[in-house]
Amino acid sequence: MEEKGIISTIQRYSIKDGPGIRSTVFMSGCNLRCKWCSNPELLDMSPKYMYFENRCVRCGSCVDTAVNNSISLSSNGCIIDREMCTNLDECMEICPKEAFEKIGMEITADDLVKKLLRDKVFYSQSGGGTTFSGGEPALQARFVIEAAQKLRQYGINTALDTAGAVKWDILSDIINHMDVVLYDIKTYKTKNHIAFTGIDNGIILENAQRIAKLKKDMIVRLIIVPGFNDSWEDLISRVNFVKTLGSSVKRIDFIQYHTLGVGKYKRLGMKYQITKIKKLDTKLIEKVMKIAADTGIKVTLQ
Amino acid sequence: MEFLEFIPQQEKDIDLERIHRLRKTMQNRRASICSERARLITESFRRTEGEDYILRKAEAFAYILEHMTIYIQKDSLIFGNQASCNFAAPIFPEYSIDWVINELDEFDQRSGDIFQISAQVKQELREIAVYWHGNTHEDEVMKNTTTYILQAEKQGILHRGGISMSGDGHIVPDYALILQKGLRWFLNEAKMKLSDKSLTKENKSFYKAVIISLEGALHFIKRYSALAYKLAEIETDITRKQELLVIGKMCEALMEQPVQNFYEGCETCYLVHILQMIESNGHSFCYGRFDQYMYNLYERDIQKGTITKEKALEIITHLFLMNSSNNKVRPYGHTKFSQGYPLYSNLMISGYKPDCSDGTNELSYLCIEAMNLTKMAEPNFSMRYNKNTPRSLVRLAAKLIRTGCGMPSMFNDEVIIKSLENLGIPSKDARDYCAIGCVEIGIPGKYGHRSTGMTYVNWGKLLEIMLYNGVDPDSGIQMLQINGKQGSSINYNNYDEVWKAWEKVLRFYSDIAVDCDRICDNSLAFYDSDPFASCFVDNCMKLGKTLKNGGAKYDVISQSNIGPIIVGNALAVIKKLIFDDKKITWNQLLSAIKENWTGKEAMHIHKLVKQVPKFGNDEDYVDNIVKDVFNSYLKLLPDYKTNRYGKGPEISCYTMSTSNITSYVPNGFAVGATPDGRTARSPLNEGCSPTQGTDKNGPTAVINSVAKLPNEKIAAGQLLNMRFSPGTLAGNENLDKFIDFLEASVLKGIFHNQFNVVGTKTLLDAKKYPENYTDLIVRVAGYCAQFVSLMPETQDAIIARTENNW
Ligand code: SF4
Ligand code: SF4
Repeated sequence: MEEKGIISTIQRYSIKDGPGIRSTVFMSGCNLRCKWCSNPELLDMSPKYMYFENRCVRCGSCVDTAVNNSISLSSNGCIIDREMCTNLDECMEICPKEAFEKIGMEITADDLVKKLLRDKVFYSQSGGGTTFSGGEPALQARFVIEAAQKLRQYGINTALDTAGAVKWDILSDIINHMDVVLYDIKTYKTKNHIAFTGIDNGIILENAQRIAKLKKDMIVRLIIVPGFNDSWEDLISRVNFVKTLGSSVKRIDFIQYHTLGVGKYKRLGMKYQITKIKKLDTKLIEKVMKIAADTGIKVTLQ
Repeated sequence: MEFLEFIPQQEKDIDLERIHRLRKTMQNRRASICSERARLITESFRRTEGEDYILRKAEAFAYILEHMTIYIQKDSLIFGNQASCNFAAPIFPEYSIDWVINELDEFDQRSGDIFQISAQVKQELREIAVYWHGNTHEDEVMKNTTTYILQAEKQGILHRGGISMSGDGHIVPDYALILQKGLRWFLNEAKMKLSDKSLTKENKSFYKAVIISLEGALHFIKRYSALAYKLAEIETDITRKQELLVIGKMCEALMEQPVQNFYEGCETCYLVHILQMIESNGHSFCYGRFDQYMYNLYERDIQKGTITKEKALEIITHLFLMNSSNNKVRPYGHTKFSQGYPLYSNLMISGYKPDCSDGTNELSYLCIEAMNLTKMAEPNFSMRYNKNTPRSLVRLAAKLIRTGCGMPSMFNDEVIIKSLENLGIPSKDARDYCAIGCVEIGIPGKYGHRSTGMTYVNWGKLLEIMLYNGVDPDSGIQMLQINGKQGSSINYNNYDEVWKAWEKVLRFYSDIAVDCDRICDNSLAFYDSDPFASCFVDNCMKLGKTLKNGGAKYDVISQSNIGPIIVGNALAVIKKLIFDDKKITWNQLLSAIKENWTGKEAMHIHKLVKQVPKFGNDEDYVDNIVKDVFNSYLKLLPDYKTNRYGKGPEISCYTMSTSNITSYVPNGFAVGATPDGRTARSPLNEGCSPTQGTDKNGPTAVINSVAKLPNEKIAAGQLLNMRFSPGTLAGNENLDKFIDFLEASVLKGIFHNQFNVVGTKTLLDAKKYPENYTDLIVRVAGYCAQFVSLMPETQDAIIARTENNW
């Protein structure tokens, strides 16, 4: 069967998503709802339309085209009623300035692989390859597996960037076709995990242990969002948990919260949930990083 | 951090403070006009009326060297001066004088490339101008210039730049031989040759001129000996006094004999360099493969214990800095094409040796360190690399690139050597190539004058007149009719007709450009008689001819073609929107262009145009068309001959180059909106780099696109410029990936690559003018992204982070 997947973009010359020079495939759909998510366009699989106010010249063409009077013009650009506007495709078509961009496209595994193969020389020179990221790529398991299988036939390194909240039989299937797993652990206490991401993290921690048992190479990513998961207890319990995973873990990346995704919310007509953010206690982070590095694991701060 | 990696053991052997001082001096230097050379050559020429021109030039050269002011730059171990003071530009009235006089009162009023000029200098230049007016290279060129050429110039298609009014330059002498033998040896060779009874008049004059020039040069060197001793007497600083005494001693016999040590070797290179720039006002006199020909001397001194690594580094650093003391003045109109007082004195390191082993040595590393300490625009620093280049050297180069100085420029041996072999140059010589000027390629000591940048041809304009049946919409001039009818209207029924029209236009104007080259070259053969520069290039001494008369072993030249990517992108738009998809008509496209993409209808068409794939994104559709455009020119070349064909050179031919210095900007001024979506009067693309703002898939896609071009046939240089943000190169891991990227680019088969690593200032500008910066890749959190695709807030965040020494 020729599997189709839904992706947003392929990011080439990706240098932070695993070893070497990589192409990262951003896949639509996610089963978490992290409050700080910087990829709101990838939360579900339906196509998304971004509106770029800075490109809009207020010509009004889209206002006339939109059904149900769903777009109106203000001095700040177009006000789009996303519920009522069912023909954004047409609005996009009519706009002379590319103020609308559609995110999300269907692609077959074959076509995806063809695109990815174009950078083969860069991958092999650098020990890089492809990283499936998102969103939650594991939600499109069959597609990812088919693409990964094909890539590996060409000797290309594969990586999965996952939050891990997927049934083990599915996840393990995917992981079988991966060389590296980038694994997010967002917070330790279940209560907090539910509050911040909308789901229980029991399955996430369990899956992490299972992957470690498979002796699969892992890069564990610990996001730090001030006011959410930056307490000493949270950090240290996450680090301690990672230590229990043993030699599978090749590296721990501490990832500092950033507001780089905020603009996307506005473009998508969505509301960003974090209104105020505290400053990060860098001393604390340094201390945790030191402890993490104790066992000889490589630790980075991004 | 003074050094990239170097750890000095003998700290007293490298005086960093002094290097800083000298660098400051060079950074704060002010350009001026010096009339000394002009006065001296006039005096000499007045006395040699009636003699052979080459002898007059040689005598004038010797006369200038005897009488010009000399000085030893404070703080510098390297000495030698081109004009009467630091960064003064001499005047060369034999090449052209009218513009000098016309612009006398404007030199210090320019908005860029300003030159100070005193009333006395103006007066002196006015006085001598009378002698030269009507008798210069420029006058000779003008006399022979056809109306065709003038018309094409009016249309903004041809630009003759330097070759119509100044010397040709672009020479890399056989430095290895100079070091090994000394100038006296060359002089004696010429004397021996003269005793041959079968010589022609041309030969005799040539050898005589070589003798006069070299005597002049040897005498010039001795003047520094006397000066150094004199300065030593009054010098109070003990160390400097000692240095001056060494210089005094060195110059007693320098170049009378083979070079004795590394220091003398560096000094010799510099002296030969400036002597060439006193003989002629061409630019791009280059050092060639400095680390290769200097290595023996270095190794010997190190083994003998007479020099330390630190001292060697100090000397190289001074040599580099002294290059900033030289200057050249151009007419203001030309300055736009080459901004920033460039001399293009290229200095190259590493690469294969003639025997195919890798030539990387300790000096390769030291040169990178020296460049890091100096970071001035000159010498133009480049590096060759290949599959066998040690990763440690590429790493050091990457570290220098990361500092944002844009150097070294990287040349791919694997492609370039093949491109030279494709011209018929034997592998042994091909492997010894070096960069000349910017990205031009030549074989040191075997190439004659410029391999590229004869006539500049504005392909953007060719494209524009193709839209109007040969009529230039700005000047109204029509030199050819594509459909055989007068007037601008033309109808294309299919892509094939469009393509044929392109070929027709290209051929028509390339023919004129070759004609233009020939006229300039003819005149240069006379006025640019350069016995000094010629005698260090094979086979001038053997044949008894100057370079321009056929003395060079290899005579490979090319024009500079500007805007091939604009043309390819435009053809792709025409093919796709009008003929393949039939989304718009020819007339719709034309009126949108005329309106410069403004107005409702035009804006809509502009959007469609922008959605057609553009070169630099690894899209075969358009990349193949760009490739066709390159091939359409390559196809013409076998028919073009240089003036020297059959008159001496072992290989004589035309090749292609996309080296275009800053000319893509002024060439763009001359061109209205083009079908690729470019707006009127904006720059054309640079070299073979994607048009500014159209490559959106990151650096690997750019390399993939460029790799599809016939790079192995573009033997005079294929320029690629890329921009990275400092963040993408920060830290060891990113640096390693960048090195991998460089190494993969070699395997991919690109010709050349250079990098801008941009800082905050540029990022701010990018934020303000996003349309100019779409190729800017920055690191965002865990991945890389196109800077301009990010929201303003995001951009701010990244700007802030860069400042934090990310
Ligand atoms: S059509 Fe485009 S440019 Fe015009 S108002 Fe709508 S979004 Fe703005
Ligand atoms: S797992 Fe990632 S994509 Fe999904 S909600 Fe969280 S941050 Fe967003």
